Amino acid sequence: MSGYDRALSVFSPDGHVFQVEYALEAVKRGTCAVAVKGTNIVVLGCEKRSAMKLQDTRITPSKIGMVDNHVCLAFAGLNADARILIDKARLEAQSHRLTVEDPCSIEYITKYVAGVQQRYTQSGGVRPFGISTLIVGFDPGSEEARLYQTEPSGIYSAWKANAIGRSSKTVREFLERNHKDDLDRTGTIELTIKSLLEVVQTGAKNIEIAIMAPGKNVEMLQAEEIEKTVEKINAEKDAEANTRRGARGGGAAGQNQGAEQTLASRPAGEGSG
Amino acid sequence: MRGASILKANDDKTRQLNKQTLMAFSGEPGDTVQFAEYIQANIQLYSMRNGTDLSPYEVSSFVRSELAKSLRSRSPYTVNLLLSGYDPIKQKPELYWIDYLASSAPVPYAAHGYAQYYCLSILDKHHHPDISLEQGMKILRMCTDELKRRLPIDFKGVMVKIVDKEGVREEEYVDDKQVYAP
Amino acid sequence: MDTLVARYSRPSHQDPAYTSDDQQQALADVAPPLSLNFALPPVASSASWLRAMTDDASNPNCPIKIAHGTTTLAFRFKGGIIVATDSRATAGNWIASQTVKKVIEINSCLLGTMAGGAADCQYWLAYLGMQCRLHELRHKRRISVAAASKILANLVYSYKGMGLSMGTMCAGVTKEEGPALYYIDSDGTRLAGNLFCVGSGQTFAYGVLDAEYSYEMDDDTALELGRRSILAATHRDAYSGGFINLYHVKEEGWVKHGFNDTNPIFWNTKLTKGEFSNVTSELA
Repeated sequence: MSGYDRALSVFSPDGHVFQVEYALEAVKRGTCAVAVKGTNIVVLGCEKRSAMKLQDTRITPSKIGMVDNHVCLAFAGLNADARILIDKARLEAQSHRLTVEDPCSIEYITKYVAGVQQRYTQSGGVRPFGISTLIVGFDPGSEEARLYQTEPSGIYSAWKANAIGRSSKTVREFLERNHKDDLDRTGTIELTIKSLLEVVQTGAKNIEIAIMAPGKNVEMLQAEEIEKTVEKINAEKDAEANTRRGARGGGAAGQNQGAEQTLASRPAGEGSG
Repeated sequence: MRGASILKANDDKTRQLNKQTLMAFSGEPGDTVQFAEYIQANIQLYSMRNGTDLSPYEVSSFVRSELAKSLRSRSPYTVNLLLSGYDPIKQKPELYWIDYLASSAPVPYAAHGYAQYYCLSILDKHHHPDISLEQGMKILRMCTDELKRRLPIDFKGVMVKIVDKEGVREEEYVDDKQVYAP
Repeated sequence: MDTLVARYSRPSHQDPAYTSDDQQQALADVAPPLSLNFALPPVASSASWLRAMTDDASNPNCPIKIAHGTTTLAFRFKGGIIVATDSRATAGNWIASQTVKKVIEINSCLLGTMAGGAADCQYWLAYLGMQCRLHELRHKRRISVAAASKILANLVYSYKGMGLSMGTMCAGVTKEEGPALYYIDSDGTRLAGNLFCVGSGQTFAYGVLDAEYSYEMDDDTALELGRRSILAATHRDAYSGGFINLYHVKEEGWVKHGFNDTNPIFWNTKLTKGEFSNVTSELA
């Protein structure tokens, strides 16, 4: 220990602020969240932590929260920190409505969230927020989806599709390979779920999906529909594996290799930080 | 410097607080809108934070306590309110009469200011708890006609809003008939 | 000082449970507070002190005479918004200036008018201009007229009862709202509308304007009606006069239509149209 990570908001000689970097580690330990933009739609997907036997999943708080009627936020990292940050954002969203008479733009609320996160890296006696957020929605009167990410350091950035949290690198690489610019509603939802399935072992019951469209309230996708989509994706995967197997001509060997592939794309190391 | 001209005849003196509550206000210019929008923002913030709306009774308690707090501050809000809402759990409409001294009372019908002296007697006679919307509108017509007939101040029209289990909606109200004192 | 502190600690949109701690508040406030902090004179109640010093209606010998007296008008029509004002400033019965610019150009699409205390209006509209520019820089787009007018309304409301005297209008266009017109006064009233006249000459301006106003007017008719309404007020109101300042707010922004002496306009109107027939040049 060099001592630089004791007092907060102090640089180490090589320009690091350790507490912020530790906060990023907390983010990496959080469950995965994905967001994908399509045309006139934006979808948020979250990995749900598997519940314990006696836990009431029906009323356990979700990782996806509404900041205002037109702004949806998902986070990865410390749940308790997120609650405080989301609350500040909600207050600002209402305050914006009160003083400007218009709902806030997505960029505005993102900048506010990032601004709060930044402040907690530069004042004494506080600890940075251990969360990254994905903020999605539609600006008032606009048809174009917005997707932003914020980090504990206070950085914010705009994306077409992105992932945060555990194994986010794997998911982001998957999205980079598979994202197209003109995805329709089902395409966007499917891509979101597909990318989550890269890292969520337990499938549909541990996935949560929120859909936003211009001028409408958020829609939480029903469990049965997620289940259906997952089955559809699995069927497609099987069919693809079959054709590949057919081309190669080896039955059992191909299947074996397929299993190895899914395992390989799920690195065990990344989650432990 | 500002004269006594009427600046706007169709100003909306209500704010919708959440899906099923509406608040009408009168009083000191400036204070009214400022207070109503402050309440509106807080009620909506509650809905955002908790994913559920406050019931009309809960809203009335909040509004009353805010007024009571303000009354004991250095610069109190001088605002009179009528708070109406539909309680989806009790499945009942509710109405609260709240004045700037932070009295709050649940009532079946209400009015503020001089209008009270003309309207309440009409409402006392004709209102029953089980009347239909049409009968309600008929009583409202009796009230506005009486105000036109007897209120010394010229009466510049009314805006009518209905609160029920569907939410809040504006009702067209034709008010061009001349009424004279016999 | 504590009167000022008490004003700012008024319940705003914040829930006390989340802001009880000053530091928490500082951490959550990303935007700076709306108002600048002024020092107040060392008297018990600045509002009543100001009233005693400046009220020339009840005390003609009062030591401070605030510049007052105005006619300003603005109205919306299909071609945009017409804004017109006179240019006289009076302090008591004394005409302090005949060439006041009572239309304040906040930016290329937004105008403010001043009536009431000249200093109050000038200062706070300049301040509004600053806030609008900051909004533009922060939000990467021009401020809506609704938001701009609300900044001013919230500001004057925070000084309510402390002696501010203003009656202003904000007229402007944005892509989202189209042409928009707001009336704001120092009571804290803020109204959106199609037509407003403000100032001591308002009744005279309303008289001419109400009679001939129609939303479907063409641009030239609207400009002429605006000019004529101010002329009517300058003719009958002793506290209005000087020059007619005329603006037209269009989709692309505002256009200025001159700052013209009322005198030739008056005689031109009288001689070519035969109006103002009570004014005669014959003796007895």
